Amino acid sequence: MEKIIVCIKGVPKPGTIKVDPETRTLKRESLELILNPNDRVALEMAGRLKNTYNTEVIVISMGPPNVVPLLKHAYALSADQMILLSDKAFAGSDTLATSYVLAKAIKKLSPFSLVLMGLKSIDGETAQVPPETASLLGIPSLTNVKNLFLENNKWIAIREIDYGEEEVEVEPPLVVSISPTAFDYIRPPSLKKLIEVKSKEPLVWQAKDLDLDPQKLGLQGSPTQVVEVSEKKIEAKGIILEGNPEELAEKLLEIFKEKGLIRL
Amino acid sequence: MLEKVELENLSKGNIVAYGEIYRGELNTSSLEILSPLKEIGKTLNKKLVLVCLIDSLKDIKNLEEIRKSLADEVWFVINEELKDFREDLYAEVLVKIIESSQPYGFFFPATKIGMSLAPRIAGALNIGLCAHVNSLEVKDNQIVMARPTYGENIIAKLISKSTPVMATISLGAFSIKYGIEEPLMKEIVFPKDFVWKSKLKIRNFTPFKKKPTKLSTAKVIVAGGRGLKNKENFQKLFELAEILGAEVGATRPVCYEGWVEEERMIGISGVIVRPKVYIGFGISGALQHTVGMENSEYIIAINTDKEAPLVKMANLALIGDAEKILDLLLKKLSK
Ligand SMILES: Cc1cc2nc3c(=O)[nH]c(=O)nc-3n(C[C@H](O)[C@@H](O)[C@@H](O)COP(=O)(O)OP(=O)(O)OC[C@H]3O[C@@H](n4cnc5c(N)ncnc54)[C@H](O)[C@@H]3O)c2cc1C
Ligand SMILES: Cc1cc2nc3c(=O)[nH]c(=O)nc-3n(C[C@H](O)[C@H](O)[C@H](O)COP(=O)(O)OP(=O)(O)OC[C@H]3O[C@@H](n4cnc5c(N)ncnc54)[C@H](O)[C@@H]3O)c2cc1C
Repeated sequence: MEKIIVCIKGVPKPGTIKVDPETRTLKRESLELILNPNDRVALEMAGRLKNTYNTEVIVISMGPPNVVPLLKHAYALSADQMILLSDKAFAGSDTLATSYVLAKAIKKLSPFSLVLMGLKSIDGETAQVPPETASLLGIPSLTNVKNLFLENNKWIAIREIDYGEEEVEVEPPLVVSISPTAFDYIRPPSLKKLIEVKSKEPLVWQAKDLDLDPQKLGLQGSPTQVVEVSEKKIEAKGIILEGNPEELAEKLLEIFKEKGLIRL
Repeated sequence: MLEKVELENLSKGNIVAYGEIYRGELNTSSLEILSPLKEIGKTLNKKLVLVCLIDSLKDIKNLEEIRKSLADEVWFVINEELKDFREDLYAEVLVKIIESSQPYGFFFPATKIGMSLAPRIAGALNIGLCAHVNSLEVKDNQIVMARPTYGENIIAKLISKSTPVMATISLGAFSIKYGIEEPLMKEIVFPKDFVWKSKLKIRNFTPFKKKPTKLSTAKVIVAGGRGLKNKENFQKLFELAEILGAEVGATRPVCYEGWVEEERMIGISGVIVRPKVYIGFGISGALQHTVGMENSEYIIAINTDKEAPLVKMANLALIGDAEKILDLLLKKLSK
């Protein structure tokens, strides 16, 4: 089987997210990044497929150089090769500009059989990058996939929609986003690979390596724009009651009556 | 019989909403999103169109709902290849409609299908797409969309520089309203040379066994968070809900803990609710949760911490132990 590509994203550690007041995008450079938790599940899927089909796994990430440790972590989990897509020109990308760079890099890695992504990031949380990348590559996409296997050289995917689960058959290549609840158990990285990766560095591709239209990159290539960021203020507006549980429960019953939720 | 319109003769410049029909049934979230879009349409003097992709008109179970909707027009694309939802083909059909009718805006409910479909269209047309929008307004002749963002209590307002303006709209963010006049129903006739082909084949469908929760339309909600301490206590909320005619909601951590199914999560990653009464047991009130319930008419918070954000935003806050108060309530109510 041809190779599997996994896309991972470095996201700010929850609680440390800052907005750049000038560009109104998230400040990423100065932050401590962690692997997007949902991408861990995509890497697990890659690892399992690799064991079953003996395929090559390439992990790629677009981001600042501080995602390198995350690429190395991903390598130790399930990959054979790491590629960092990094260039100042990529900064401030929305999902379209991100998908554009990812699609170009994936194309450069052709032929491939499968692209795996997380369902959504925990910072932007749009869930748009997987289908958008597939669309730019002109190949099918499935989201919320819980299981994936090959049958007669075709991918069979179990995917979740709002009404239930569908079993879908599709010829490779294909982009899928993996459901965060796909696995009951996620395997730890192998010790051997943790040691091995210490002496490895990812390949770095910049804008000039990818045959890109500069108009479509970064902040200026992003049609969606954040025009205002405001902090939510919470004002006290109600009654705060302290007391023993008995009194408080009685108060609740009173309100329930007043609101017509109970009769007595 | 529907009036037939050739693809190239569709009227231009409208505001279009995606009418999600799955196995003959319209997802009512498509009707929800018509409410804000109607207002936008009025302000900008644009027609509101609902577009539905189906394999046959006669099998649609809730056509009545469509007839009562706020849309000015409903456009159907009818072809047997549209029987199953297949994102590549569906996206291609919608791209054709966008190319010929050049809408001003195109909006999707943020269902799993909507979120799978909209980005494919954005990619194909090279245009922007805003995600999980929960409010829309017109400012200087432009649609400004708001969505909450993460980690901190931040609301971002976005615009899209490309046309059509595209967004997915959070489920439950708006309530369904009905129109006065029945919309004009049309069938779009595709050119003969359009290829109705998908690379996807749906081999099997297993519907969810459990009925989807009625959270987003519930009038009363009893919700629980980590302050309830364990699954056993959380389960007692179902008894209370039964007595009050309420639905049970939850915060994300307790869903992840497995105290209750994820379908009951309220907030940015879950459902947006607007009940008449919301009661939160042991919920801190993080922004990611409160954006999903802040439009409740009457909010009650039960928390040991006087400083918890939900306590501050509540109409009535009770400072005390959630478990004890819940137990006492159940005791008193079962008498
Ligand atoms: C306040 C704010 C609001 C925003 N709103 C929007 C919006 O409405 N529309 C919009 O288009 N953009 C928006 N963005 C920008 C968007 O969030 C980006 O950061 C974009 O680069 C990635 O989108 P995502 O994080 O939502 O990815 P998702 O689509 O949620 O990510 C899904 C998967 O795609 C893969 N992936 C995503 N990014 C990368 C990457 N850099 N490298 C490798 N793999 C990746 C991962 O596998 C990930 O799990 C917003 C940004 C901010 C700061
Ligand atoms: C990207 C992202 C998306 C998210 N999406 C969502 C979402 O959609 N929905 C959601 O809910 N969360 C979401 N979260 C998580 C959110 O940030 C909060 O962590 C979560 O809402 C907190 O849940 P909680 O109130 O149950 O727990 P906690 O914040 O731990 O609060 C527990 C509360 O219980 C109180 N308490 C403790 N003991 C007692 C007692 N004996 N009696 C009464 N009160 C007591 C405490 O004072 C505290 O206020 C998201 C987070 C991220 C990063």
